[in-house]
Amino acid sequence: MRALEVIDCHVLVIGSGGAGIRAAIEADRYGETVLLSKSITGKGGCTTMAEGGYNAVLRDTDACALHTEDTMRGGAYLNDPALVDALVHDAPARLSDLVSWGAVFDASADGEVAQRSFGGQCRPRTCYAGDRTGHEMIATLMERLRGSGVERIEETPAIELLKDSGRVCGALTLDRKGEVRAIRADAVVLATGGGARVYDVSTNSGTGSGDGFAIGYRAGAELIDMEMVQFHPTGAVYPYDARGRLVTEAVRGEGGRLINAAGERFMNCYDPERMELSTRDVVARAIATEVLEGRGTKNGGVWLDVTHLPARRIEERLPVMLEQFLRFGVDIRTEPMEVAPTAHHIMGGLSITPEGQTTLPGLFACGECSGGVHGANRLGGNALADTQVFGKRAGEAAGRSPERRATIDRVQVEAQEERLTAFFRGEVSPISVQRQLQQAMWDGAGIRRNESDLRTTLGTVGELNGAGLNAASGRNLTACCAVQNLCTTAGLIVRSALLRPESRGAHYRTDIVQTWDAQTSPFGHTRISLKGAGIEEAGR
Amino acid sequence: MTEITVTVLRFNPETDAGPHPEEYTVEVHDGARVLHALHAVHAQDETLAYRYCCGSGQCGSCAVQVDGAPVLACLAEAKDGMVVGPLALPVVQDLEVDLSPYLERLAYIDPAPCAAFPTKEEIEAIKPLRDCIECMACVSVCPALLVTDFAGPTAMRQDLRLALDPRDTGDRINEAVKEGLFFCTSCQRCWKVCPKGIEIPGKAIERLREIANRQGLSLPRHIDVAELVRTTGRSVPRTKETFLEEVPGVIEPEGEARATVGFFVGCMYNGRLPDAALDMIEVMRRNGIRVVVPHEQVCCGSPLIRTGQTAFLDQLKRRNIEAFRSRGIDTVMTMCAGCGSTLKNDYDTPFTVMDATEVLDRYGIEPPAKLRIAATYHDPCHLLRGQGISEEPRALLRKVAETFVETPNRCCGSGGGVRSGVPEEAAALGAMRGEAFEASGADVVVSCCPFCEFHIAEHTKLPVKDLMTLLREGYEQKDRDGAGQQ
Ligand SMILES: Cc1cc2nc3c(=O)[nH]c(=O)nc-3n(C[C@H](O)[C@H](O)[C@H](O)COP(=O)(O)OP(=O)(O)OC[C@H]3O[C@@H](n4cnc5c(N)ncnc54)[C@H](O)[C@@H]3O)c2cc1C
Ligand code: SF4
Ligand code: SF4
Repeated sequence: MRALEVIDCHVLVIGSGGAGIRAAIEADRYGETVLLSKSITGKGGCTTMAEGGYNAVLRDTDACALHTEDTMRGGAYLNDPALVDALVHDAPARLSDLVSWGAVFDASADGEVAQRSFGGQCRPRTCYAGDRTGHEMIATLMERLRGSGVERIEETPAIELLKDSGRVCGALTLDRKGEVRAIRADAVVLATGGGARVYDVSTNSGTGSGDGFAIGYRAGAELIDMEMVQFHPTGAVYPYDARGRLVTEAVRGEGGRLINAAGERFMNCYDPERMELSTRDVVARAIATEVLEGRGTKNGGVWLDVTHLPARRIEERLPVMLEQFLRFGVDIRTEPMEVAPTAHHIMGGLSITPEGQTTLPGLFACGECSGGVHGANRLGGNALADTQVFGKRAGEAAGRSPERRATIDRVQVEAQEERLTAFFRGEVSPISVQRQLQQAMWDGAGIRRNESDLRTTLGTVGELNGAGLNAASGRNLTACCAVQNLCTTAGLIVRSALLRPESRGAHYRTDIVQTWDAQTSPFGHTRISLKGAGIEEAGR
Repeated sequence: MTEITVTVLRFNPETDAGPHPEEYTVEVHDGARVLHALHAVHAQDETLAYRYCCGSGQCGSCAVQVDGAPVLACLAEAKDGMVVGPLALPVVQDLEVDLSPYLERLAYIDPAPCAAFPTKEEIEAIKPLRDCIECMACVSVCPALLVTDFAGPTAMRQDLRLALDPRDTGDRINEAVKEGLFFCTSCQRCWKVCPKGIEIPGKAIERLREIANRQGLSLPRHIDVAELVRTTGRSVPRTKETFLEEVPGVIEPEGEARATVGFFVGCMYNGRLPDAALDMIEVMRRNGIRVVVPHEQVCCGSPLIRTGQTAFLDQLKRRNIEAFRSRGIDTVMTMCAGCGSTLKNDYDTPFTVMDATEVLDRYGIEPPAKLRIAATYHDPCHLLRGQGISEEPRALLRKVAETFVETPNRCCGSGGGVRSGVPEEAAALGAMRGEAFEASGADVVVSCCPFCEFHIAEHTKLPVKDLMTLLREGYEQKDRDGAGQQ
């Protein structure tokens, strides 16, 4: 065996979305920092795709207490209050960081950052840059990163965390040629984003394979509330290959109306007060119900209509939507969009403290791969704020970690090398496993769930997880690892879903009749780790 | 599902001598994008290397060439028979290219400690420059990058973005000059391939050059040209009798007039190549088109706009517009690609502007004799991309040349003030052009732009002719043939 190449640093950040870049910028102030990325730095993940905006309390007409209440209510009170507190209080300062680093958010007439209304919020609180807010954030963070001392390693995923006597001390990486390297670090920050790609219909980017959940879990970290998967109410329906592509909530924020095939503005029957601006779980279920009960379009969706708005407003505020639909032959200024729910966000994830510390020493997490901030349902605009607030916190806490001498565990390295070699002997195409998994998850662990379907799905996931995947060449090894991570993430979601015997937020069980609501629920977080799994229950 | 054939240019620089096409037959859904076809190819052959990520045109990972034109694979529609290749940048493997050298050259903000948030106006000015997804499609087509160490179109975009931001403390104009601000030939290729439609030459490079001009950073040769325009109304010094001095104010056609157009001659045809302009007049006369030539017209201002010296531009514009408006002319014909593009894109005219080839195409021409030549055609950037004209000149050329051969399109290097300001660059691009024409098998190069013709002529052994000259020769030949028969 060849000698293992080892890179040494103080902090290793895994993932270059909004959370990872923010963490790396912060950690860089404390010592040598490496930013490892599966994609080209800044081009991976979902942050750059985010359209709608970033929530922060900026004006006197708003208050942190209101943002907290909206977030908790939206999250069906499953959120970790300490994390919500950190989110709400730091979001404005982190927005200021972005602004001072050159972010080009839209300005209001009074020369401040403009804000608009988003679902589930009692004040217009969402800051935006047209409908390319996440892209603007990444552009800003990339400029800051280019001016920092952070070392970037690109197109190289982490495949496993390294541990030295119970403490995370780095990661093994796999490059495009299939070469394994080790990065040794005093602290590691996981910022690998979400994993909604476990579903057949999803808004997520190609890198959203849930790597962080899987490698954190394998290393022994605890994850919470993994059953909480947000289905965004409005994903595109056509063309087939682009199904699930997000139709931003800003469309409803700007006044878009949901109409069923019978021409009814059906949100009236589900949430007459908030109508289209109700929380995502409510709107997604409403659409799913309309379609299920036969009031959907022939492609299995409903209409989202902005034709009553002035064309100029659509052109100015929703340029990306306008352009995307035009490309597929629909002019949203004169015709409605056809939409249906799509898997969007994993609220659950690695259990963290407000400093981003996971349950494993030496391992921090931030952004979508962590859990607890959004409870059972995330409000639009809170995830981008989350990336900045917890990116900074995790980067700082990791940066403050003491320097350590760690040895790289040969046994661990050999096990991984063996795992990779086995892929050359395997016979199953990772692409076909991925497709089967996504379909099984969509059918059995989607918007409406019941125990029997969940059990069947768990069986399928288990089988797929055991498939002997084949790598056609060294560069295909990463795909095999990604598909295994996808399977692991799916398993965590389904097992957690079976643990929660209630409907709450995004988790909707059709087979359970319950007498409590979110605030009086006897249940707390589901927790899952290598040691076991369970759900917190009052009085037990 | 429909079945389509996709050819992918495969290349592994570590094992292959060069790129080789491989054909795949795949099934795709209705409305599938190129990316989805590549996924289908990949499912057949997992060794295919290609990048993608967001799938919605926001991350800039998946730019490739389809049938030779850069597109984002996730947005361009998949077509049966398409050929997918990498961007024209160093290939890592198959469709993956090395973007890092170009990403590294993007400037980043150096923010002032407690700068205020920009005003709404400042934000609105920066926003269009902010859409860039760093896909490097623009860089892959920029001719200046072939022969200079230009940082590339999107680096210029980024420099202006920073220059416009009150929070930035860097000296972006000086940096832009060092990074090659004056290397841009204003060929317009970059923004025509930009998936975000960012108009870099007009909205970034020319703006940067304007600020550079105000800071005294214009190139000396450019300043000389501006001075010439200011003092003489012309960007070309008078060395011989000009076109305007030779012709009357109204030139009647042979026979009945089918149409009347005003003629905007431009400095090059007026002062340096008046014979080609006279040839054009003969072609118009022969085809029943009356040409009105206001003698008070001046330079269109293109050499000033392209080099950022716009201080007295408005005077030129007013004078030119008035020259035609006062004569009640509703169609102004240009012959110079640069003037035409300027009148169409930089002016707000009360009349329609048409290139001479468009005029002839609209009214139809008497067929000339076919000359026994093999002609190739050079698309002037300001005609092809500046005015979207490619078919009309080719159709005319096919009428007069016995054989017509294509030469792959590329900028000749003379535009954007490069010929005067950065002559080495212009010469290097000109030489590449010359080689390409000589390899085409043609024995004459034909074009429709005096700048291109003048420049290319210095870089090829082949004769270079204006299309109008060739048409006139075709008529003369026809007349001789007719006389011979009688
Ligand atoms: C289409 C869309 C629109 C959205 N709009 C909004 C919005 O308007 N407002 C809002 O608040 N939220 C929005 N969200 C949610 C929000 O964008 C995400 O939750 C958030 O950006 C996640 O950021 P992140 O940094 O945690 O992860 P990501 O941005 O997803 O980044 C993850 C990074 O990790 C890398 N990575 C993954 N695995 C590995 C590995 N094994 N090794 C190395 N690197 C790895 C990836 O390459 C990527 O760089 C939207 C999400 C989507 C999909
Ligand atoms: S106009 Fe042409 S030369 Fe100028 S930057 Fe664009 S591609 Fe390059
Ligand atoms: S300017 Fe346009 S073509 Fe160039 S990198 Fe940016 S998005 Fe791509």
